[in-house]
Amino acid sequence: MAQQTNVGALLSMLDSSMLGVLDDIIAVFKENLNSDRGPMLVNTLVDYYLETNSQPVLHILTTLQEPHDKHLLDKINEYVGKAATRLRILSLLGHVIRLQPSWKHKLSQAPLLPSLLKCLKTDTDVVVLTTGVLVLITMLPMIPQSGKQHLHDFFDIFGRLSSWCLKKPGHVTEIYLVHLHASVYALFHRLYGMYPCNFVSFLRSHYSMKENLETFEEVVKPMMEHVRIHPELVTGSKDHELDPRRWKRLETHDVVIECAKISLDPTEASYEDGYSVFHQISSRFPHRSADITTSLYVDTQNSYGSATSTPYSSSWLMLLNTPGQLPQTLSSPSTRLLTEPPQATLWSPSMVCGMTTPPTSPGNVPPELSHPYSKVFGTTAGGKGTPLGTPATSPPPAPLCHSDDYVHISLPQATVTPPKREERTDSARPCLHRQHHLPNDRGLEEIPGGKGSVTLSDLPEFLGDLASDEDSIEKDKEEAAISKELSEITTADAEPVVPRGGFDSPFYRDSLPGSQRKTHSAASGAQGTNVNPEPLNSSLDKLGPDTPKQAFTPIDLPCGGADESPAGNRERQTSLEMSILTPSPCKIPPQRGVGFGSGQHPPYDHLFEVALPKTAYQFVSKKTEELLKKVKGNTEEDYAPSPSPMEVLDRLIQQGADAHTKELNKLSLPSKSVDWTHFGGSPPSDEIHTLRNQLLLLHNQLLYERFKRQQHALRNRRLLRKVIKAAALEEHNAAMKDQLKLQEKDIQIWKVSLQKEQARYSQLQEQRDTVVTQLHSQIRQLQHDREEFYNQSQELQTKLEDCRNMIAELRIELKKANSKVCHTELLLSQVSQKLSNSESVQQQMEFLNRQLLVLGEVNELYLEQLQNKHADTTKEVEMMKTAYRKELEKNRSHVLQQNQRLDTSQKRILELESHLAKKDHLLLEQKKYLEDVKVQARGQLQAAESRYEAQKRINQVFELEILDLYGRLEKDGLLKKLEEEKTEAAEAAEERLDCCNDGCSDAGVGHNEEASGHNGETKIPRSGSTRGNSGSRGGGGSSSSSSELSTPEKPTNQRASPFSSRWETTMGEPSTSIPMTVGSLPSSKSFLGMKARELFRNKSESQCDEDGMTISSLSETLKTELGKDSDLEAKTPLNLDGLYPSTPNPDSVGQLRIMDYNETHHEHS
Amino acid sequence: MTEDSQRNFRSVYYEKVGFRGVEEKKSLEILLKDDRLGILPPHHESHTLVMMYRKDQYADILHALKVIRFVSDTTPQAEIYLRMYQLESGKLPRSPSFPLEPEDEVFLAIAKAMEEMVEDNVDCYWIIRSFVNQLKNKYRDSLPQLPKAFEHYLNLEDSRLLNHLKTCSVVSRLPYDLWFKMCFAGCLPESSLQRVWDKVVSGSCKILVFVAVEILLTFKMKVMALNSAEKITKFLENIPQDSSDAIVSKAIDLWHKHCGTPVH
Repeated sequence: MAQQTNVGALLSMLDSSMLGVLDDIIAVFKENLNSDRGPMLVNTLVDYYLETNSQPVLHILTTLQEPHDKHLLDKINEYVGKAATRLRILSLLGHVIRLQPSWKHKLSQAPLLPSLLKCLKTDTDVVVLTTGVLVLITMLPMIPQSGKQHLHDFFDIFGRLSSWCLKKPGHVTEIYLVHLHASVYALFHRLYGMYPCNFVSFLRSHYSMKENLETFEEVVKPMMEHVRIHPELVTGSKDHELDPRRWKRLETHDVVIECAKISLDPTEASYEDGYSVFHQISSRFPHRSADITTSLYVDTQNSYGSATSTPYSSSWLMLLNTPGQLPQTLSSPSTRLLTEPPQATLWSPSMVCGMTTPPTSPGNVPPELSHPYSKVFGTTAGGKGTPLGTPATSPPPAPLCHSDDYVHISLPQATVTPPKREERTDSARPCLHRQHHLPNDRGLEEIPGGKGSVTLSDLPEFLGDLASDEDSIEKDKEEAAISKELSEITTADAEPVVPRGGFDSPFYRDSLPGSQRKTHSAASGAQGTNVNPEPLNSSLDKLGPDTPKQAFTPIDLPCGGADESPAGNRERQTSLEMSILTPSPCKIPPQRGVGFGSGQHPPYDHLFEVALPKTAYQFVSKKTEELLKKVKGNTEEDYAPSPSPMEVLDRLIQQGADAHTKELNKLSLPSKSVDWTHFGGSPPSDEIHTLRNQLLLLHNQLLYERFKRQQHALRNRRLLRKVIKAAALEEHNAAMKDQLKLQEKDIQIWKVSLQKEQARYSQLQEQRDTVVTQLHSQIRQLQHDREEFYNQSQELQTKLEDCRNMIAELRIELKKANSKVCHTELLLSQVSQKLSNSESVQQQMEFLNRQLLVLGEVNELYLEQLQNKHADTTKEVEMMKTAYRKELEKNRSHVLQQNQRLDTSQKRILELESHLAKKDHLLLEQKKYLEDVKVQARGQLQAAESRYEAQKRINQVFELEILDLYGRLEKDGLLKKLEEEKTEAAEAAEERLDCCNDGCSDAGVGHNEEASGHNGETKIPRSGSTRGNSGSRGGGGSSSSSSELSTPEKPTNQRASPFSSRWETTMGEPSTSIPMTVGSLPSSKSFLGMKARELFRNKSESQCDEDGMTISSLSETLKTELGKDSDLEAKTPLNLDGLYPSTPNPDSVGQLRIMDYNETHHEHS
Repeated sequence: MTEDSQRNFRSVYYEKVGFRGVEEKKSLEILLKDDRLGILPPHHESHTLVMMYRKDQYADILHALKVIRFVSDTTPQAEIYLRMYQLESGKLPRSPSFPLEPEDEVFLAIAKAMEEMVEDNVDCYWIIRSFVNQLKNKYRDSLPQLPKAFEHYLNLEDSRLLNHLKTCSVVSRLPYDLWFKMCFAGCLPESSLQRVWDKVVSGSCKILVFVAVEILLTFKMKVMALNSAEKITKFLENIPQDSSDAIVSKAIDLWHKHCGTPVH
């Protein structure tokens, strides 16, 4: 709470007039804000500001730091919602934003923006709307990326407000609409500059609707005449425009300049970067330079003192006078103007206007300007140059002075205007006039149509009345003073003052570095303004050359180079004057001529912000208010013919100022020290509110313009930086050039050394060449030698070859000789051998001859002996011979015999052997067959056995059945019969016991007993003793049953008993038919019996184990005994048949006998 | 000697094995079939005689049964066979009205199936008799092992199915009697049954296991769908007849797969 009160106290202290206290308190607040992060202090400050409009608080609020921005924005947002505080809070917002706080990027996200947009869309108060739109326009370049979300809101607002300009809903005062129009125009420029594609498409869609068509025709279309085609419309797209990347690299002032670039409105446009072509330069550049050139021009004119056209001098005077001594000028023009009209008739202001207007930029400013002013300014510097240039430099009185001029001139003209225009259209300048006409006609239409009670024609009259009143003695005095001053300046030094002006404006800067450039600019400016009809002018200005050319060209050329400095000088002077004289001009200049204003305004600002803290500001605003109050009535008339809202506003202010001064003059209030301003006069009380609002609007506009100016200043600073950079680069270039030179020198040196080297090299080359030639000659000589040697060697080789051939031949010959020698040697040896042979043969021959001789002798001897003993031995020998021969023959035949025997015996042996083999084979076959038979017999036996078994089972079943039946019979049988039968049975049993005294009876008895014991209930004992047959049968049955019982249990060695019992059963049955003797057969000891028994035993054995032994043994016995007794053989089968019918069939035995092995056996045996 | 060399070179081998001749194919088949059952001896010469015996035996038994009025002309042939068999084995009950033993039921089932396969009564009786005897004697020890073998092979083929059966606790309640004692008589149609029985007669009772496994595999989906032991048993006792040929073929394949060579 204490703090609260503290804050309250501090706040109240803020308004103290003591500067020290103020500074302290501001410091305290800032400290507080630094330490405290809460919204309270900010809220209190805002509230306080709204209450008191306190300037220090505003200063604090506009310099708020980061953490408090949110509170501030929230607070503003809150108040924007309330209709009562909306206007003030918007202006506060404007203040805040214009200073471009560090947190400006947050604006796009803040809730304030939508609410501001909403407010702009819904509010109906023009003042609020205008303020809001200006704030919005200021804000847009700061948050270009927000366009994405709010683009349509912007467009909607534009659409709404543009229609407002035409429709004037409610009771909106006309004068407000001018401001609104101006702000809408600015909005148009901003939107078109920033989002061309989207905006154009919006326009297309919005104004294609019929209800909006009128708005378009009346409001939007004229606006569109002030813009160029945006390059983005060609290269960009809707999405690309909204792309944040596009905006990222652009700063706020970049955006502003971007927007200005596409403007053709001289008050708005920017011509940086060589963006515009010539005609733009001519239209815009001159405007800037106009201040220089025109004034320069005037200067020169003055200095020359030549009697050129009076309008120029007058205008120049006006220009000079504008700063301060208005009355002065008024007096002089008034005097001169008297001479003017004839001139005007000679070459009418409109003509001048048309001629001076650059041919390609007629549509924009000149016509608008020229129309009301051209008659006045056309005479000065070509219509458009002055209005732009002069306002910038001149305070409100300047326009006033013009208006005075205007009054003077237009009084007659205004009446004649319509016909005059007609004439002009008829005259040969269609292009210009067509474009002039559009606005003109409209203006004319509008005047009667809607605008106000005061028409264009009325205005001059009205003003004229005012002006006429203004004429006073004071002005004359002032005029005289200024003219004196001027003459001093013009004649006196110019140079020293140049730099100052140069620093301020970009043009001077431009002109400073290069004099050529400067002159050119000046020249071009001159051309643009005055010498337009000159060669540069295009075909449009055919008519132009007549008078102006003659008049201006001589002036132009000399003044371009030389008289630049006086201009600067003069500029400086005016600025100085202005700064001293009045604070008010600074309010108006920013509205227009921004480009130029930037050069001169810092001083004002400086004065404004620092030197005149609050009181001055209020003072100024008050004065402006008063001014506007007076102007109010006049502005309406101005509105009509101006398609550019800016110009309308300008003119409104001018007119207002005009009226005000006149009013002041009329009132002649003594309160103010400044002679040309007479503020403080009580304004008409009924319009005070409107005027106040208007003032506010103007203030807003002013602030907006100032903001723009600041942006331009920023831009300029950047450009300066670029220039500095360029300069640095140039220096760098120079340094590089120096280096280059050095290097070139080096290169020179190198070249020289290179030449030296080359010379040395050539020398060396020569030396080398000589050596080479020498060597070559040597080589040639050597080659020659070599060839000679070669030839020699060739010859030698041929010789060698010949020798070799010879040697070879000789060798062959040698060989031949050798062979011959060998041959002869061989022959020789042969001959010698033959020789020796023949010698030995000779010896032998001799020896044989001797032997022959000896033998002959012996023979002779033996012959003699033989002849002696001859006849006895022959007979004996012959006898012996014959005996031997016979003996030999005998032996021979014997041997033959023996051989034959041997052969036969051998054959016999072979035969026998084959027989033997056959027998063996047969034996084998027999064995196999026997085996087969055995198997066969076994199979058959098994079958028979099974059959037998089945039979046995059948029998058992039968017996069982029979027994069963008996059992049934006996159940109801007679007891008597039983008795008898019993006795009979006993007898029969006894008989049987006698007959066969075996253990059978015992067995039978046992059986009986057994049976009786076994089935005593069924009374079998009686049935067993009923009859012999039956008894035996019963016994057999029982025995069989017992055997049946015993057989599986008993081992094989005890088979005898079942067999015997079976035997008995079989015996029992045939006993009826076959005699008993047969029954004793088993006991007989005959061979047959033995055989039978053997057979039976075999059978029984074969029954249990399936070995083929029994049969083999049988066949053995058969075999062994077959040959011995055939009688028995015949009997045994019979017996066997009789005894045992189920034995194998007799055929098999027969077969056995038939077997060929028996035959072989017989054969063999 | 010349004759020997011209003889069929296989004859020695055949003789070794026990075949008397290879000329007549029919006799060979008969031999092959009946030798196993022991109805006819290997010797062709004794066939007529043995058959005569068999016929006599059949007639005698039949006559005896008729005499004791155990059978009449209206008695079904299968029952006649049963009574004959009972008589032969000495197990004829005292009265035909006595209730039948389980083994008699088995016999009856086999007899009914065989009746369809063999036309002649005598042959039929003898084949039945020998078949049953073979089951009783030769496979006495191996038949009780078959359920275990069945589980083993089923596990190899499809363990999931076996698990399912186990979870249904139906493993112990499967129709083993029908499968292994009756050898699927009444379960499969005769045409398919004949192929199975051929294997059984030839000496392999394992084929029964594979047939059972194959039945389960074939009807796996249905069996898996059933959950209660009763339902599964009931279904297995009355399986559809149409796919029996395929079952048997697959079973034989399975048998070959698991037991290797077709011989035992």
